[in-house]
Amino acid sequence: MGSNIAGLMDFVLNNRRIQLPQCRPQTTLLEWLRSNGLTGSKEGCAEGECGACTVLLVRPHGTGSKYVPVNSCLLFLPTLAGQEVLTIEALNENKQLAEAQFAMAEAGGSQCGYCTPGFVMSLFAEQYRPGRAGPCDPHSMGGNLCRCTGYRPIRDAALSLGPAPDDSFRGRLSSPAPSMIPVSYTSIEGRLERPGDLAQCTTFLKKYPDAKILAGATDLAVESNLAYKRWPVLMSIDAVAELQVFQDAADHVEIGAGLPLSEIEFLWEHAPLVAREWLPLFASILIRNRATLGGNLGTASPIGDAAPMLLALDAELKLGGANGIRRVKLQDFFLGYRKTQLEPGELIVSIIIPKPFPNQARFYKVAKRRMDDISTVAACFAVNFDADGRIAQARLAYGGVAAVPIRVTEAEQSLLGKRWDELAVKQAQAIIASELKPLSDHRGSSAYRLAMAQTLLKKFWCER
Amino acid sequence: MNILRKVVETFAHVMPDRDRDELIQRHRFLGQPISRLDGRPKVTGAAHFSAEYPVEGLVHAAIVYSTISKGAIVAIDTSTAQQAPGVLSVITHLNAPQMKVPPPFSVGDSPSSGTTLVKILNTDRISWNGQPVAVVVADTPEQAEHAASLIHPVYAAEPGVNSFEESIPQAKQPKEIMGEAPEVKKGSADVILKDSIHRVDLTFTTPPYNHNAIELHAAIAIWDGNDKLTLYDTSQFTAGTAASIAGVFGLKTENVRVISPFVGGGFGGKGGLWPYTQLCVLASRITGRPVRLTPSRAGVFRIVGGRTPSQQRVAIAAEPSGKFSTFIHEGVTAQSTDNHFPEQFSFPPRHLYAMDSYRIAQKVTEVNRVANTFMRAPGESIGTFAVESAIDALAYELNLDPVELRMRNEPDRDPVSGNEFSSRYLREAYTMGADKFGWKNRPAAVGSQRDGDWLIGQGTATGTYPVYRVVTAARLRINADGTAHVQTSCQEMGMGTETVQTQHAAERLALPMEKVKFEYGDSTLPAASVAGGSSQTISVALAVHEAADNVIKELLSLAQKDSESALAGAKFDDIHAAKEGIFRRDHPHLGQTYVAILKHAGKDFVEAEHKTGAPLETMKYSMHSYAAQFCEVRVHRLSGEVRVSRWVGAFDCGRILNPKTAVSQFRGGIIMGIGMALTEETMFDDRTGRIMNPSLAEYHVPVQADVPHIDIVYTDIADPHTPLGAHGVGEIGITGVAAAIANAIHHATGKRITSLPITLDKLM
Ligand SMILES: Cc1cc2nc3c(=O)[nH]c(=O)nc-3n(C[C@H](O)[C@H](O)[C@H](O)COP(=O)(O)OP(=O)(O)OC[C@H]3O[C@@H](n4cnc5c(N)ncnc54)[C@H](O)[C@@H]3O)c2cc1C
Ligand code: FES
Ligand code: FES
Repeated sequence: MGSNIAGLMDFVLNNRRIQLPQCRPQTTLLEWLRSNGLTGSKEGCAEGECGACTVLLVRPHGTGSKYVPVNSCLLFLPTLAGQEVLTIEALNENKQLAEAQFAMAEAGGSQCGYCTPGFVMSLFAEQYRPGRAGPCDPHSMGGNLCRCTGYRPIRDAALSLGPAPDDSFRGRLSSPAPSMIPVSYTSIEGRLERPGDLAQCTTFLKKYPDAKILAGATDLAVESNLAYKRWPVLMSIDAVAELQVFQDAADHVEIGAGLPLSEIEFLWEHAPLVAREWLPLFASILIRNRATLGGNLGTASPIGDAAPMLLALDAELKLGGANGIRRVKLQDFFLGYRKTQLEPGELIVSIIIPKPFPNQARFYKVAKRRMDDISTVAACFAVNFDADGRIAQARLAYGGVAAVPIRVTEAEQSLLGKRWDELAVKQAQAIIASELKPLSDHRGSSAYRLAMAQTLLKKFWCER
Repeated sequence: MNILRKVVETFAHVMPDRDRDELIQRHRFLGQPISRLDGRPKVTGAAHFSAEYPVEGLVHAAIVYSTISKGAIVAIDTSTAQQAPGVLSVITHLNAPQMKVPPPFSVGDSPSSGTTLVKILNTDRISWNGQPVAVVVADTPEQAEHAASLIHPVYAAEPGVNSFEESIPQAKQPKEIMGEAPEVKKGSADVILKDSIHRVDLTFTTPPYNHNAIELHAAIAIWDGNDKLTLYDTSQFTAGTAASIAGVFGLKTENVRVISPFVGGGFGGKGGLWPYTQLCVLASRITGRPVRLTPSRAGVFRIVGGRTPSQQRVAIAAEPSGKFSTFIHEGVTAQSTDNHFPEQFSFPPRHLYAMDSYRIAQKVTEVNRVANTFMRAPGESIGTFAVESAIDALAYELNLDPVELRMRNEPDRDPVSGNEFSSRYLREAYTMGADKFGWKNRPAAVGSQRDGDWLIGQGTATGTYPVYRVVTAARLRINADGTAHVQTSCQEMGMGTETVQTQHAAERLALPMEKVKFEYGDSTLPAASVAGGSSQTISVALAVHEAADNVIKELLSLAQKDSESALAGAKFDDIHAAKEGIFRRDHPHLGQTYVAILKHAGKDFVEAEHKTGAPLETMKYSMHSYAAQFCEVRVHRLSGEVRVSRWVGAFDCGRILNPKTAVSQFRGGIIMGIGMALTEETMFDDRTGRIMNPSLAEYHVPVQADVPHIDIVYTDIADPHTPLGAHGVGEIGITGVAAAIANAIHHATGKRITSLPITLDKLM
């Protein structure tokens, strides 16, 4: 494996070089696979929810590689230029079942079988995950839905798997993964550009101010697939090193806007509790393998999960444009419903979180389903105490309760100088009721959202 | 009840029972936890589902859905769509040829799978929001979708009946409910209730649900000339689809071949003929090209119906001992303006409890929505929610343990029909389940267990589902090389059909499983009925059993043509299948292998095709499966979040033919029940009749993290009146689940939630 190095206009699929076809740049890998006879990857939703379409990307890990499971329904084909992909069809190329396949069949993890290839791919990636020890973690398949089995036999299959066998798939991991090369893809139906650095990005954006910035595509591909949204020019930021930084310094942490969330999780060894509890609540593992903070803030959705946490941690953004870099407090970034401070031709470069982290900070997400769901209300609270044990600083941030992610500054003010007791909580709760006017929709009524916003503060206090 | 049915029932009661099948005792393959035979093609991605068959020259169709729930199309401009790139044809009611409306769903001798009487694309009338109003055919799926998005019909909207709640005052009693009376009563239920000291009277609501199998519906249609058609369709009922499509397009049924071996989850959603299939065939006919039509997830929500909403009242009066003195279960479900399916939610109490007096009745209203249809345990899943929640409430009223209250009302005979039960071991299931769960350690008091901010409670409920058997045909062949082929048109939706029927045929013919090939999923094979109602396993088993008997008889007479044969003079009753052949019962070493018999006779094979008789046994006996569901929940004191932390399902479903596949069915049913109880709900906008959450992002099926530890136990007692002593196991799992959860939540919090799903806001 790995001998077929891909070039500018092709990619490696199941160890074979494939020319990027002339197509609409928003054609997804899944569409292309299924219309070319590779129907092992299934389609259950085309929006990243079911995981039936899971494929593996070979991505860098130290000097070697790792298999990264992703939703192929959310990958635009030209972004694969120079990349290496495995689909379910690759796993038993020599007619022998991969261990993950065998375990799923034996445990009865496949019933109707439609979800099965997706689960197998997630499980395969888990088994070959570098540095993994012990049985496979069933949560590695958290991005895959099964309507038949009740998940139990699938869990059993995972728990039955030990270390990856010494085979060509494992062998592949010791050689380097393809790097993200710059791409310039044009077809009659549109254009996709992947500049190699920040300067090229901003130059490109200056020339094409309407170009759509493309990060992990977990929002954009859904818009493309379900709402048939079309962008004449897309600009992928995947190859821009400046957006992939991660630096844990003495007085701040800097996180590249283009870093997938699971990379952040991997790199941020000393992440505070609040970040560690936030990550698993954000989408599913498959989505986290692609989704970025830049995309989450760039979308400016009022129910995005990153903003409440970053607001509570008092984050700042580095915005880059033709005139260089400027810094903006996240608090000032959101202007109105899906409106931000980003000027045409500007993009988010990185997110800076000041240190030291607050004395107490927690993230809460209320959703209809425990995992893998969009928030009805998200909240992140942070407090600092003075030497006396009184509240010196408080930041109470919410998503899902207004047109933009917001802080309830009056309630915050009310806490200052107080003891962190039930009375202080009660007073703050009362102010929250006057500060927030949430909307009603099918995720929750206004009254329910407000009640949750208040209750979560109490929960935060209870868990002090 | 009509007269014919009465006559048949009387006849059924005097009919002798079928001979007891000796395979009920055999365990070489039957009853063994054999891994599914279709596992390998599924884990490798090699198994082809409907949309995945490679077809030369395939083009693609996309549907335009109406955006009003009632009214007429006044104008439909398709010119822009016609000119969009790749477009081959745009079909609307203005240019579509006349098609017949398929007759409503029926599993009888002339199968049909119609789901709506709306003349799809043959009318300007709109009956539901989402009704197909145009189909676009183009070279690629995306071109078809794009062109479809350019069509914006002009409507003259009329006020539709969009809201179920508002339609309830108009509810009417239907003539019948699946052949049963819509209302049964005995004694003066209302008077007894009024005069009783111990009683409950509660009203429950359940929302609409959708199946959301992970595989989307899909069809590929290929015409061969004007009179022959091959159709790959995600169908749970190939024979019904073939007959219906033949009817719609005026073809001979035998000229329509429907292929559907693997179905990527059905749960009832793929049992009927939904509009996409007909439109795919139409698009192919008009363009003269093979066409594929795969609606998106949202499209499936718009044109494939789900479970009806319901409003149900349960009122029970009891003596201080707990014995029910009267039982009232009544309520309303919805159907569309153009179909007839009053979901049988009132069936459970007709068979579950001893009652001196009762009134059990149901009504139905008509709404402008996509036709409702069966979804896993139609009737019983929502009916048990109401009935079993009310019984739990009564237990608190009486200060009795909820299990004990149920046991005190165990009937000797079916309380309504008076028929004998064919096999009822609910008591045993409760004992097994309670043991496994540790029910005796549960404190009786409400709200008495806590772990930090989590309130803990345990609940129980009975589940029940009828035993259905349907007329089914199968062909069985024994070949000269000693292998066997079994053929029937049924489906593998994941239940383990191929595996279990191979186990069965191997056991019956005394062959190793490798020598038996089970072929299915093709309407040109002998007709099986719908893979629904948990009926397929025993229905196919009986057909295979009887076909096998015929083949053995034929082989016996072939062998006996040779007067030297070890089988000479033996009657059918004197012999049985053993050691890959036929041997004498009294002299087990005397006999001949199939290979020897066929070789001697100079034949390549012997085969028989057989169609089973009507299920008269279900009229003579009260035949049901039972479940005792136990669960533990944790409810967060502040946020109202509910977590199901532990589950024990104890089942009485006849003999279990394959523990591995059966347990998976039970468990899958329980999980779907957890979704039904806590997160799932199809939301209609009452102003427009439009579904507001037509996606897996907004319709919340359970994820792995929602799933507790589940233990399954079962009585495994053979039912003497069913093929192989078995019952179907696909649907029983979901029944009683929502009630067990609601009851556990009550135990944890003291709150009795009567409307599903039990979302956080209801517990705040
Ligand atoms: C199944 C599923 C589950 C999800 N669950 C959650 C969840 O639990 N919580 C949650 O908050 N979100 C969730 N999302 C939404 C989505 O994953 C996030 O918003 C994600 O962070 C978007 O990042 P991305 O890199 O994929 O963005 P993309 O889709 O690539 O881009 C999103 C938007 O941001 C813009 N953009 C991207 N990068 C930049 C940049 N550097 N500078 C300026 N603009 C930029 C793009 O132009 C685009 O408008 C979910 C999505 C899916 C499909
Ligand atoms: S098709 Fe469902 S996640 Fe991709
Ligand atoms: S096996 Fe059917 S969806 Fe998982």
